[in-house]
Amino acid sequence: MTESTNTQSDCGPTLGVLLLRAWLGVRAVLTGIEKFSDTRTLQVPLLDAAGKPDSSGAVVEVTQKFYSLHSYHAIPDSMKDKFAQEPLLPSLLTTSYYAVLGWALIALGIAVLLGLWTRASLFLMGLLYVSLTVGLILIKQDAGVAWLAIHVALIAVALSLCRHNRFTLTRS
Amino acid sequence: MSPRDPSPGAVGLGRRRFLKTATAAGISMALAPLRSAYGQAGAPGDAINVALVGLGAQGRVLMDAMLKIPGVRFVAVCDIWPYARTYGQRYLKKNGFEVRAYENHQDMLEKERDVHAVIVASPDFWHAPITNDCLRAGHHVYCEKMMSNTIEGARSMVRTMKETGKLLQIGHQRRSNPRYLVARNRLLGEAHLLGRITAVNGQWNRAVSADLGWPNHTAMTPELLQRYGFADMHQFRNWRWFKKYGGGPLSDLGAHQIDIFNWFLDTTPSTVIGSGGRDYYEGHEWLDNAMVIYEYRLPDGMARAFYQVQTTTSAGGGYFEQFMGTEGTLRMSENPKYTTINREAAAPPWDPWVSRHFLAPQKAPAKSDDDSSGGSEKVDARETAELAGYYLPVILTKAIHQPHLENFFNAVRGKGALNCPADEAFKSEMAVFKAIEAVESRSLVTCQPSDFTA
Repeated sequence: MTESTNTQSDCGPTLGVLLLRAWLGVRAVLTGIEKFSDTRTLQVPLLDAAGKPDSSGAVVEVTQKFYSLHSYHAIPDSMKDKFAQEPLLPSLLTTSYYAVLGWALIALGIAVLLGLWTRASLFLMGLLYVSLTVGLILIKQDAGVAWLAIHVALIAVALSLCRHNRFTLTRS
Repeated sequence: MSPRDPSPGAVGLGRRRFLKTATAAGISMALAPLRSAYGQAGAPGDAINVALVGLGAQGRVLMDAMLKIPGVRFVAVCDIWPYARTYGQRYLKKNGFEVRAYENHQDMLEKERDVHAVIVASPDFWHAPITNDCLRAGHHVYCEKMMSNTIEGARSMVRTMKETGKLLQIGHQRRSNPRYLVARNRLLGEAHLLGRITAVNGQWNRAVSADLGWPNHTAMTPELLQRYGFADMHQFRNWRWFKKYGGGPLSDLGAHQIDIFNWFLDTTPSTVIGSGGRDYYEGHEWLDNAMVIYEYRLPDGMARAFYQVQTTTSAGGGYFEQFMGTEGTLRMSENPKYTTINREAAAPPWDPWVSRHFLAPQKAPAKSDDDSSGGSEKVDARETAELAGYYLPVILTKAIHQPHLENFFNAVRGKGALNCPADEAFKSEMAVFKAIEAVESRSLVTCQPSDFTA
């Protein structure tokens, strides 16, 4: 009876850390992938109800989303311009940072999802969000800072529950 | 040489009668009569021999549009002004066409035997005489709007078209613009997006401009000008402002937009009142500014349509025709930047039409960091909720007159019907004349359905 109760009480933290890994992993992977997305405008014939070209010969512009390595953009241009004006963010640093940001989010997200060196992966992901926070503080994006703080708090909770971590590819 | 009075010619097999005959004989209604008409002209292949009458600003716009249409072969140009005539001849030569040039259309009709279609872009008061002569000479005609500066002139053009069985397209080019066709046929027709249309308004506002001049050495002699009905060189260059030659701004600019009122509402007005006057320009005869209100009796109920044309303002919001209904508002313009579509908050969702690309949601403007005004907040409790914004994704990649000219040439080839035959254009012509009458008499003018039939 007592053993069964202990097993049930251990299940909660295990599921909790699993959920946190899932959320943080998916969040990071998809955010990283989106940095390789762009939209293009296509011109296609307007179709009638039967699926045939409209009798007017009308052509419509349709916006289509796509992904490619060439479309990579670490952060929006408007934000990049603001960072460029910050004396505490030298261009040498930001250029390298932009180059790895998307790839780092994808790699850390996959590692957290699969349970690859979970503690280290979670910690690095937390540091990445802290680094993003630095930039947002400098350009006074307080809402973004608060948003990232939630991410970091979730990572901290996940790290504190790591002793209950199961379903991992590596032990640590 | 003065304009000849149009007189009824020999009544041959009318176009409509021919259509009925063709149907009875099991021949394609749309193609057979038109092919037959084109065949009589003896055109080899798909090439169409074209003569252009009138090489002023509008004639040059049409010339440029036609140069982009495959199968159009210029053979002659005609203008009383040697300066314009020479310009047209040289311009076409640069574009690969050796054309013969004429001072008047009658000389041209006598000497040119291989013309299939004539494009008329002369001053309005010459439209009817030139068009009637060309139709009677066996040519198909594309004539700029207004059809004429007189009701009788416009009526004579419709009658001649019917008598000769030739094609007569009037230059209301919006009727062939795919953006307008989709707006009318899909948004208002198929999707019935606006619900019951209760109000319409349109405008064309223009900044003050100086009268047109001319290089001194190009001035025509008084004798030459008077031979073709012009008082002097100034009136020749600025004919749009004089009652003898044209219809003023309500005719020059308003005719296009009042035509859209009629076409989109699929009916003609029952009354019109108006106000306007010559308040600014010295030396003009026609009014500078005018505001008119039509009443349209629609199947769902009454709709009122306000129209203003102003030539003494800034662009003032540009030019558009706006249709307002219980479920939404459509603002159409030849210029896509003035075109908007808005859905009332209580209207049914438009998602099905968005998925068919009839319209697309507007992207919300980026909010600036320091925007603390709450842009969408009401400033008055009686305001209606903010409308969802959409745009028309249809694009026109050609010059705005090109689709209408292509429609004309396709009809000449027997490939389809005209988008704006003269009898259809006459309805809008009459609506403009009624508006001018209302403005000048400062009274309510009633329109009978029979007024709109030539």
